[in-house]
Amino acid sequence: MKRWLLMVLSLTSFNSHAELSGENIALNCFNCHNRKPAANSAIPSLNGYSRQRLQQAMLDFKYDKTNATLMPRIAKAYSDSEISAVAAYLSQQ
Amino acid sequence: MTRLSRRDFLKTGAVSSVALLNGCQPLFGKAASKAHVVVVGGGFGGATAAKYIRYFDPNIRVTLIEPKAKYITCPASNWLFAGLATLDQLSVDYQGLKNYGIEVISDTVIQINSKQRSVTLSSQQSISYDRLVLSPGIDFRWDTLHGFNQELSQRFPHAWQAGPQTELLNQQLQAMPDNGTLLICAPPDPYRCPPGPYERASMMAFWLKQHKPRTKIIILDPKRSFSKQALFEAGWKQHYGYGSPNSLIEWVSLADNPLVSLDAERKTLTTEFGDHFRGDVLNIIPPQTAGKIAIDSGLGNSSGWCPIQPMSAESSLLPFIHVIGDAGHYSPIPKSAFAANSEAKVCALAIVNLLNQQAISTPNWLNTCYSLITPEHGISITNGYQVNAENGITAIKSAGGVSQKTDPASLALEAVYTQSAYYNLRSDCFD
Repeated sequence: MKRWLLMVLSLTSFNSHAELSGENIALNCFNCHNRKPAANSAIPSLNGYSRQRLQQAMLDFKYDKTNATLMPRIAKAYSDSEISAVAAYLSQQ
Repeated sequence: MTRLSRRDFLKTGAVSSVALLNGCQPLFGKAASKAHVVVVGGGFGGATAAKYIRYFDPNIRVTLIEPKAKYITCPASNWLFAGLATLDQLSVDYQGLKNYGIEVISDTVIQINSKQRSVTLSSQQSISYDRLVLSPGIDFRWDTLHGFNQELSQRFPHAWQAGPQTELLNQQLQAMPDNGTLLICAPPDPYRCPPGPYERASMMAFWLKQHKPRTKIIILDPKRSFSKQALFEAGWKQHYGYGSPNSLIEWVSLADNPLVSLDAERKTLTTEFGDHFRGDVLNIIPPQTAGKIAIDSGLGNSSGWCPIQPMSAESSLLPFIHVIGDAGHYSPIPKSAFAANSEAKVCALAIVNLLNQQAISTPNWLNTCYSLITPEHGISITNGYQVNAENGITAIKSAGGVSQKTDPASLALEAVYTQSAYYNLRSDCFD
């Protein structure tokens, strides 16, 4: 796990010009995934998920491993390391 | 030039003279300890910027200036025509923002004094700022159709700013004769909510199919194509007989034969080559520009919109003023409430960076627009955007696009998401 994290971190730092920060991407998640979830929202809040679970979900969307309407189109915009950074940011919210 | 940090700017004489002009108020000490951001316009862009500046840095004082006590959202206002929502359900107030410590002033800005860095309100009160966020939305060009003017929008409503205009158009829709015709004059690009005219036709057709099935909606379009066209046309074919002689919706491209005049008495529109379109109801959506205060303040260019520096949302024309939302020139990002929220977050982060003498981080924007064709048939379009090498904005390739899954279950799911996405977006901006 630690090795994996170091790898991601080093990738991020080497590509700092091309890569976006997790926060800057993740802020747009809240447009649909409300931080104050309404009881009847069909779109889930992202509160309370682990980094690993969020990252896997986004990678599954990106690589069409899961059946979904919108997220596969959004997730393809970001590199795997950007997705990892988004998951890290969201899991700390 | 406009990227001077606050510290650098304070070293210059400009601020000293401003302090003197302001009657020797302790501008230095006050501003240094607690910067003041003024946000003009309480729509999706302004509300989000105000909220997120406070979220990123609660030490920054934020004042929002908005004349209306309640804001009626343009998103979802087409639902009214299908009987799916009332204007009351689409109204938000500013209590949520006040809870973040944002001062909300119910007034209108009549002048921006960019050199003094202050705004003048209609009450003649002057408010100074360290940074100004302008989110004034759109205004209309009333002079492009001979025989039409602003006053006539009371008879031929645009309903492109939600409120009384939406009610008026809905009343006219419901009072149409059983074999009547409703004309929707779509605006030329760029305009607020690219899928809006086509979602409106869908929502109106949904109601007409149940109550006046012999009527017809004709969309008169200055464009050759439109947003989510294939998905809209497939939905219209499925639900409203599109393409058949009895279709509830017809789409007519007038790209080579534009509308030139209106005969208000005969409710007839005429094209350049002399074709006539008569309607019982005319929904004339005029061409659009940035909101009046932005244009009057010299923030617009010949396009009618406000050029900005993508990294900071700061105006390319005047320093310390940031423009977000429909008024800004963010092309290729479409003018939508979702995009305004995304632009506001980029702007809020940049302002917090600038006021704290930090480097501005690389922005990222997202847009997603859902539309309903029926209450159980939703479609969507989405795209991510980033800064390109020329300091412009580019859509991120290999991603985004329109709904790929068009089986009934997916379309029904997208209809459910349409509603949740609206309420959640609204909450992210105002609550």
